[in-house]
Amino acid sequence: MTDDPLLSVRDLAQHYPVRSGLLRRVTGHVEAVDGVSFDVHQGETFGLVGESGCGKSTTATSMLHLESPTGGEVRFDGDPVASLDGDAMDRFRRRAQVVFQDPNSAFDPRLTVAESVAEPLAIHGMDDPDRRREITLDTLERVGLAAADADRYPHEFSGGQKQRIALARALVLNPDLLVVDEPVSALDVSVQAEILSLLQDLQADLGLAMVLISHDLGVVRQVCDRVGVMYLGKLVERGPTESLFSDPQHPYTEALLSAIPEPDPRADDDAVELTGDVPDPSNPPAGCSFHPRCPRIRPPDEFEFTNGTFRAVADLKLALANGTVDGEFDDSAAVREAFDLPSALADDEAEQVLADALDSVIAGRNEVAADRLAEAFTSECEREVPALEPTAAGHVAACIRRDEPSTADAPAEGD
Amino acid sequence: MPSSSSDAPAFTQVDWDEVGDGVGRPGARTIGFGLALGVLAALLAYDFVINPDKTMAPLEWDVRREGWLVLVSLVVVARYGLVPLVADRDRTARYVDAFRQRRAGVLALTYLTVFAVIGLVGPGVFEFSYAKLGHRLQPPVFASVSTDIVHTYSCVGPVVDGACQGTWQYPLGTNYIGENVFKNWLSGIHVAFKVGISTAVIMATVATVVGTVAGYYGGVVDDLLMRYVDIQQTVPAIVVYIILATLFLGNMTNISDGGLFAFALVFGLLDWGGIARLVRADAMQRRTTGYVRAAKAAGASNLRVMRRHVVPNSTATIVTALTRRIPLVILAQIGLAFLELNRTRPVSLGNVLLVGVMGRHMPWHVKWWTTVPAVLFLVGMVVSFNVFGDTVRDVLDPREEAQ
Amino acid sequence: MTDSLLSVRDLRIRFGTDDGTVRAVDGIDFDVRAGETVCLVGESGSGKTVACESITRLIPTTSATVEGSIRFDGTDLTTLSESALESYRGGRIGHVFQNPQDALDPVYTVGAQVVEAIRIHRDVSKGRAREQAIDLLDRVGIGDAESRFEDYPHQFSGGMKQRVVVAMALACDPDLLIADEPTTALDVTIQRQVLDLLADLQAEREMALLFVTHDLGVVADIADRVVVMYAGAVMERGDVYDVFEAPAHPYTRALMACLPGRGEAFETIGGQFPDPTDPPDGCRFHPRCPHAIEECESGSHPDFRTMEQADGTATATPGDDADTDSATTTGDDARPHEAACVLYDDVHTIPTDVGVADD
Repeated sequence: MTDDPLLSVRDLAQHYPVRSGLLRRVTGHVEAVDGVSFDVHQGETFGLVGESGCGKSTTATSMLHLESPTGGEVRFDGDPVASLDGDAMDRFRRRAQVVFQDPNSAFDPRLTVAESVAEPLAIHGMDDPDRRREITLDTLERVGLAAADADRYPHEFSGGQKQRIALARALVLNPDLLVVDEPVSALDVSVQAEILSLLQDLQADLGLAMVLISHDLGVVRQVCDRVGVMYLGKLVERGPTESLFSDPQHPYTEALLSAIPEPDPRADDDAVELTGDVPDPSNPPAGCSFHPRCPRIRPPDEFEFTNGTFRAVADLKLALANGTVDGEFDDSAAVREAFDLPSALADDEAEQVLADALDSVIAGRNEVAADRLAEAFTSECEREVPALEPTAAGHVAACIRRDEPSTADAPAEGD
Repeated sequence: MPSSSSDAPAFTQVDWDEVGDGVGRPGARTIGFGLALGVLAALLAYDFVINPDKTMAPLEWDVRREGWLVLVSLVVVARYGLVPLVADRDRTARYVDAFRQRRAGVLALTYLTVFAVIGLVGPGVFEFSYAKLGHRLQPPVFASVSTDIVHTYSCVGPVVDGACQGTWQYPLGTNYIGENVFKNWLSGIHVAFKVGISTAVIMATVATVVGTVAGYYGGVVDDLLMRYVDIQQTVPAIVVYIILATLFLGNMTNISDGGLFAFALVFGLLDWGGIARLVRADAMQRRTTGYVRAAKAAGASNLRVMRRHVVPNSTATIVTALTRRIPLVILAQIGLAFLELNRTRPVSLGNVLLVGVMGRHMPWHVKWWTTVPAVLFLVGMVVSFNVFGDTVRDVLDPREEAQ
Repeated sequence: MTDSLLSVRDLRIRFGTDDGTVRAVDGIDFDVRAGETVCLVGESGSGKTVACESITRLIPTTSATVEGSIRFDGTDLTTLSESALESYRGGRIGHVFQNPQDALDPVYTVGAQVVEAIRIHRDVSKGRAREQAIDLLDRVGIGDAESRFEDYPHQFSGGMKQRVVVAMALACDPDLLIADEPTTALDVTIQRQVLDLLADLQAEREMALLFVTHDLGVVADIADRVVVMYAGAVMERGDVYDVFEAPAHPYTRALMACLPGRGEAFETIGGQFPDPTDPPDGCRFHPRCPHAIEECESGSHPDFRTMEQADGTATATPGDDADTDSATTTGDDARPHEAACVLYDDVHTIPTDVGVADD
């Protein structure tokens, strides 16, 4: 077993054109995946974690070239996948298999379980029906079903059983790499545990490399050796699971971890609550894509901001820029209250800028206020796209504030 | 829980380099289909080249153009309709069970089956005599007609109280030429069947191919195909046919089948747009389903996916859409025949109706038996098709959409 | 002594299906007091959703037979006529369901739907209702409420839609809010927002919350009391601290043990959910229970046995204030920590570890 990765993904990108107008001109791009890189070694499980819309499922289909990526390179066992064709491509398809989300629509309702599971064998040229059947029955038993189940139809099975059948179908070609997309999210807790346990057993028995995609951090923590956290098409943090979970360096990872309800009623409620929603992927924010929601957005060096106040100022700035501030405020105190701003900022110069801007808001001149704030309070986070850099914790994160102590312990900002 | 048994799993024992060379032998069904078509082609060649204009000895009937079309259609229906049902007994049994619970559907299917049987067999089974002018306007066996409406009226059966009684010689009576209405009725059903099946097969084939390709591939292919369909749908098949008939039908000696072949072609090739759209919508929905994605991820070609996963799951749509259009097509042919733009031999129901209302001897409502049976048959046919279509959709679809 | 706001006793719900009679809920009891949060926990087939829907009879009576009593503030809801019940739905009892897109009609603006929710139960003018609706939207955290009033559901994200649904549910200031897996379909950071919102609203309005979920983490976060259901019956119920720190019923223990990602090796429960048309005799969990004994396999569902603390007194809620020593003053020995398991009677003992299930 060499140390070279089985799967090597570099700067993978999948941009979908947005067309509008009569002539269907390309007016923009949805950058569903925007520069994702990771390696997967034989026998290891790599987890890809993130919330909906972050691009993890698209990463899976792009890296397997089920959709051609618009950028980047994927190498499987050293060979670039994009240059494979004919027999080499067939071989790749055999060696890299995928189990999609939603076990309920995973099977052609007109085929029996045996026919569905045997289909990949037939596709790759195994003409002998007896041999196919023999392999199918054996595989079904290895995933925990009975040979008698083979001639029944998919709708007769429960969600957990269907997931097992889907696994059988993926394994029947004896792949080296298995990509599972949300394997347990549609299942009950006790069934989840069984499927995860099955995945771990199969991996141990067969030496499979696995890429596991999930929005459920608990699942990822249980099963994966290494993890990548995705947000809006980019990897924001990546590294060994325990290192990442015990000492997250990216504010989004922190927020994600703290948002998970802990099954302990006496646990402290120190959740980092994110404001707002995930932005529109066809119009991502400039600089770091997380800055509109980041609780640790770095204030400009010229000013001194106390804990959390810059986030409030940044929220006001965003709201003005997006035009979502309705101009019905009586006085500047009302605006401050609406945006969680203190009655006066600690830094006098900053306070001056803010007061000016608030006056403009009261006067109904929101664009003026927006400009004023943008001029003074543009954070470095909005200008630069951070790259994945090593951190002291032992993994990489894409944040200019990595390796700084977390917000809860931080002294007043600005040194 | 999986048994971590000590023997390696069977799927790890496969040496794919030696297996993976099979391009995939064509399946038994494809071979059978090919053979059947080959036999027909050989017979056609025989008829055309070696023995034209005469009845084919082994078959004892003169197979004209429309005949070949009907034979090909029957082979296609057998291959794509009957063979899958027979091959997969379990699934067929489920459908039959579900179908049996729906009385209306069963009745409709029975009606259509009788229609098909008569259609296949034709009036040739019975021995009918030729038209006798002297036996004109006889009433059907279960009715009678007053004799004093017409003078010089001769009644085949007994005359009771001044009313001529019907006889079994003419179970549905005769028309004003003396033709046996029953024979013509059967002949009309036979023609309707031929029209229906040949047009249906042409429409279904073209619509399925176009709709599936457009829906599955999407993009430019879809745009082009649907644009074509848009344009085609502005050309009404019936107008095209009328124009062709007016131009060419006058010269009857050249057209041996009275236009049935032409009719089937025109309607089959121009009237499929609506069905294609439905098939396209289906294909668009199916291409994102888990099983299609799984098949592609396993390395299946697009053609394989379309043939094995997309089209078979669209059966309900295609069959239901056909059951809507076919009755209309049959009625169109009958209407055209009534207008004498389509003269088939044996006669179609259009001709039956036309002859039925002609004649000055009796008002049309008195000689009702010359027209009513045909009308009743047609009403029954339209209703049966529609009910059958609804039932088929209910039976085939719920399983597929059930969670 | 607080009376229960909602009191469900011996609720039985049966459906007739082609495969037989499904006993979705087979005799359950629970209470919800004013201002408290009760979580119904269970997996698929536990009957928790059906039980909640039956409270305001959202299940059509043509398909289900409902027996038992459902008392809300003294009135037995099962005896009310349909029209009388309509005044409760959305009025004193609000609902939030799992899929916000199912609850919102795509052809009406969000504002119109909130206004409708108000005007069904309150006799206010349209203008007044509109003002109230905008306030509600603002209160549930929808920024720029006045202009978003005119937006359609498809213009909102999943989390926002759920907030709108919450606003509609709160429109008439209900005493009880029934929420059936309201955050299951949402991302975890949005889930946090919605849970915090519900907690705030509850505190503000002294509203009781009946929350259905399968997520034990959420339960630990928000619940005051927990009712654990399996296959249509209640397996365990009690205070959230008691149930989490000393889970009594083997099913509850197994459920806690198979949560992934707690850093320990996790267990699985063998076997499958029982057939709802033919549940096992005795304790429904016995085919899968690692501690099952012969007595578990027959008879009816086991009786509830009260869990004892180390000093032999019945457990009581450790309240936030000082009177935790006398178990009688809070009245909570009326609702002690109980488990429906034969192993807790005087004769048997239960092993302290969960036990690994075999196949």
